[in-house]
Amino acid sequence: MFSNYVSVALRNLVKDKLYSFINIAGLAIGLAACVLIALFVRDELSYDQFWSNADRIYRLNTTFNTPGREPMVTVMAQGPTKDALKAYFPEEIEAVTRFNSMEVVMNKDGSVFSEILMWTDPETADIFDLEVVAGDLRQTLQDNASLAVNESFARKHFGEGNPLGKTVTINLMDIERDYRIGAVYKDLPHNSVLNFQGLAKIDENDFTKQNWEFSQWYSVNNYVYFTLKPGASIRTIEDRLDDFVDAYIEPPAAIGNAKSSTYVQYSLQPLTDIQLNQAGARDMEMKPTGDMGTVMAFAAIAALILMIACINFTNLATAKSTQRAREVAIRKVLGANRRQLVIQFLGESTVIAFIGLMFGLVLVEVALPFFSEFVGKDLVFDYFDGGTIGVLAGLMVVVGVLGGLYPALVLSGYRPARVLKANKSAESSGSARLRSALVVMQFAISITLIVSTGTVYGQKLYATRLDPGFNKENLLVVRNTSNSGAVSKRDAFKEQVLRIPGVVDAAFSSDAPASGNESNISVRVADDDGERTVLIGVHRVDYEFFETYEIPFLAGRAYNRQNALDVTPNGFAAEPGDLLQGNIIVNEGALGRFGFGTPKEAIGRVVKASVGNDVQAQFTIIGVIPDIKFQSLKEVMRPEVYMLASFGFSNLNVRYIGDPRPVVAEIEKSWKSMISTVPFAYDYVDEVMAQEFEAVESQSMLLGVFSGLAIVIACLGLYGLAAFTAARRTKEIGIRKVMGATVTDIVRLLIWQFSKPVLIANLVAWPVAVWGMLSWLENFPYRMEAWMLAPLCLIAGLIALGIAWATVGGNAAQVARANPIKALRYE
Amino acid sequence: MLKMHNLSKIYRTDEVETIALNNVNIEINSGEFVAIMGPSGCGKSTLLNIIGMLDNPSEGDYLFFDENVARYSEAKLANIRKRHIGFIFQSFNLIDELTVAENIELALLYHDIAASERRDRVAAVMDKVGIAHRAKHMPSQLSGGQQQRVAVARAVVGNQSMILADEPTGNLDSAHGQEVMEMLQGLNEEGTTIVMVTHSPAHADYARRTINLFDGQVVTENLRAA
Ligand SMILES: Nc1ncnc2c1ncn2[C@@H]1O[C@H](COP(=O)(O)OP(=O)(O)O)[C@@H](O)[C@H]1O
Ligand SMILES: [Mg+2]
Repeated sequence: MFSNYVSVALRNLVKDKLYSFINIAGLAIGLAACVLIALFVRDELSYDQFWSNADRIYRLNTTFNTPGREPMVTVMAQGPTKDALKAYFPEEIEAVTRFNSMEVVMNKDGSVFSEILMWTDPETADIFDLEVVAGDLRQTLQDNASLAVNESFARKHFGEGNPLGKTVTINLMDIERDYRIGAVYKDLPHNSVLNFQGLAKIDENDFTKQNWEFSQWYSVNNYVYFTLKPGASIRTIEDRLDDFVDAYIEPPAAIGNAKSSTYVQYSLQPLTDIQLNQAGARDMEMKPTGDMGTVMAFAAIAALILMIACINFTNLATAKSTQRAREVAIRKVLGANRRQLVIQFLGESTVIAFIGLMFGLVLVEVALPFFSEFVGKDLVFDYFDGGTIGVLAGLMVVVGVLGGLYPALVLSGYRPARVLKANKSAESSGSARLRSALVVMQFAISITLIVSTGTVYGQKLYATRLDPGFNKENLLVVRNTSNSGAVSKRDAFKEQVLRIPGVVDAAFSSDAPASGNESNISVRVADDDGERTVLIGVHRVDYEFFETYEIPFLAGRAYNRQNALDVTPNGFAAEPGDLLQGNIIVNEGALGRFGFGTPKEAIGRVVKASVGNDVQAQFTIIGVIPDIKFQSLKEVMRPEVYMLASFGFSNLNVRYIGDPRPVVAEIEKSWKSMISTVPFAYDYVDEVMAQEFEAVESQSMLLGVFSGLAIVIACLGLYGLAAFTAARRTKEIGIRKVMGATVTDIVRLLIWQFSKPVLIANLVAWPVAVWGMLSWLENFPYRMEAWMLAPLCLIAGLIALGIAWATVGGNAAQVARANPIKALRYE
Repeated sequence: MLKMHNLSKIYRTDEVETIALNNVNIEINSGEFVAIMGPSGCGKSTLLNIIGMLDNPSEGDYLFFDENVARYSEAKLANIRKRHIGFIFQSFNLIDELTVAENIELALLYHDIAASERRDRVAAVMDKVGIAHRAKHMPSQLSGGQQQRVAVARAVVGNQSMILADEPTGNLDSAHGQEVMEMLQGLNEEGTTIVMVTHSPAHADYARRTINLFDGQVVTENLRAA
């Protein structure tokens, strides 16, 4: 009995090659896409699960609720929280550690290079069970002259020999010290949000001049992680976080006499939740993280693609069922009952699913390296690891049953007498209608995917082509100009750079475009009842900044060297309590915040701000510029002031003309000749700005690939349906031809039959796609115009229709050309 | 009206070569009622298909209104066919998915005829063959006799001058067969040329002339006295 089923199944496969090919190819592609996406999703979900304390490690995130602004969420916290947490929650918290990443200059045997190291506390060794391969991590982290490094770092700088005990000289701010390699740990797996190649102990005495790094309550620079004591509840901590804030933090002037907890708020994030749950700006994490939305979107795409393949299966099987009606009838006459027949047909579809899966696995093996590279992970597909086989077998059965159930029920329900006697189309109109509905669904999914791909890509184009308000072309930034080895020489360096042929302008600034840096000052503005404090973004810039960036002025003028008042006064050169005078340039957004009316009206108005050392200065507005998108294209525009102050000048912005390569080469030569202890580093501004959208770009490419696959599978199905339908309609086509229909008439008839579902699919897909994409676009402060979705929808519809026509057209022409009398013979 | 001269039809498949018609010479005049008889497989349907321009002869000439159409392309044949010739088949060949009225309208659909005129003509012809009350029915809801009336209606709705009927009564009981024959006779009396294949000598008696085929050749032609 069973072998009879199998042999019938296999014989059917061989006999109907087109049918088998379409089913197997569709399933293979669908299952391969599913497996690849599943690997990606599983990887994203696996982040940081491997730590033995994974379930009780939390991170402290800080939110600033600045009055009148969007809350600023950071994934870091202030240095003093480490001791404060431990003291305030002794019953709940086991250990706290901080991570603060710093770029250092290293000197090893006379060669100078820069590396990024992580400053941390000894508790890191207790909280995170790093895999130590040599040395003693705990001891290393107790010592402010020892380094723990990962294997890659050790190999890079010490070769294959034993690095333990070797020394490097580290220059960082006031530190100039020999560090001994005390421990080597295995590189962190890629599925961790933590990322550091070397660890050094935080000794707060090393940073007394930079006390904001670890010792101030107003600066957030540290990732703060802690372990919860076993059995303790995270809720107890969460409930008392506001009290914790009020106990430790003085309320800032900007919030008047409200409690600190209205201004600073903490939240606790489980370590394993960080990868997919974006708490703050993503580029503030140690490395870029993923997000749940993307994971869900890809999981959904996988399910949809598989669904399209299953639909092919169902459709072709019901379309073909008339051909098998006779077999069913005979089996029934010979005593088979319905249940046996259902099992037979489900068995057959499972066999096809199995073969599809086998080919799918081949595709996975072929595509995995490319896919891995594309998503930037080293994904491995291990057949024998935890339930992979079980999942695959499950997938096969699900697909087999999903695709085969309806045809099995229809086929097994045939009444033998009718089939055998009438020998006419035994098909009910119900299954034909179901088929059309399913084709509509396939194409609706495909069209939605095309629209999504187009939108994601369009948004990427829009964002990268957006006019930022300055000229980002022909502009480069030389970095590191505020490092200790460079500060004293940077003015001379700038002079040198200006002399290089091809250099048009150069100016220092504290920030460069797309840095995402957030720096604010409190400004006091006079109003009807005295004074009001406004927190506002600040950039510190050089005289030539506006000229170099080609930023137009809405009113007033740029800073110039003739005017001594333009320079931001230095509070440390005055007596506490003094009121100094200065000039300032602001953007249009700041005028709104100050309540200063139009740019022209604002010129000459004054605001007050602290200039350090408890000294206030009165600033007169001398220029207003538009809201340039300097900080990041991913953030909403903020009100900003641009102060002429050399504090934190870590970038030299250089405008050039012509070929940048000789210019860069010359700049590098000058740098090396003047500044030997700091590595030369530079970026092109337009590239840096485009990088912000790399993730979106790769998303759009992946979406494109998967929507392409979806369409291919849907068209395979359509092709099969067209073939079967044409075969079923030969009699009708014959009659029409006898009545005088031409080949064109018939082709038009058939193509229209297949266009209808595609057209209906458009009506289904458009609202869904538009709604989905509009909400996706909400993620971007600067987004492409919503009406652009209309042409995208139209284009997607035309693409789908065009592909459908191309798919059924050839077949239709062939059928239409056949001689009608063949179809009408009745012997 | 039509004249066949030394006409042959040979079917070639991979293995066998069937001579379905062998040197056939026939002349049929306008207004005639001709019956074609002969054993199964002797080439009757083939002959009818060639007369109806559904197929080309392999050799010989076929003059239709003095125009030699033997080598005409499919498109050209279709054009002549739809203006002059109506078909009736043994198995009716109605389209299952269309209503009675739509099936009849099909014969006008591929002519340049306005929708309103098509509706009028379909209604008129349905009255004539007595199926007006079934206009909205599907073919599967009709008896065989009724289906064949629909087919007759379809064959004449375009004012065709010639009707080709291939065993039109083959699937009908004798009463219904009789009905269809009377309908054909009526049409012939109104001037329509009719060529009909039949196995029934009684039905052949409705025709003025009988052509007997055997193995693809015309063996005898009988003329019934008027
Ligand atoms: N399309 C075809 N291909 C091959 N042989 C055919 C074809 N149509 C008819 N024949 C053969 O031609 C001969 C005549 O067939 P037909 O005209 O249908 O006979 P009749 O209608 O008299 O029964 C038969 O032997 C038949 O098998
Ligand atoms: Mg025949």
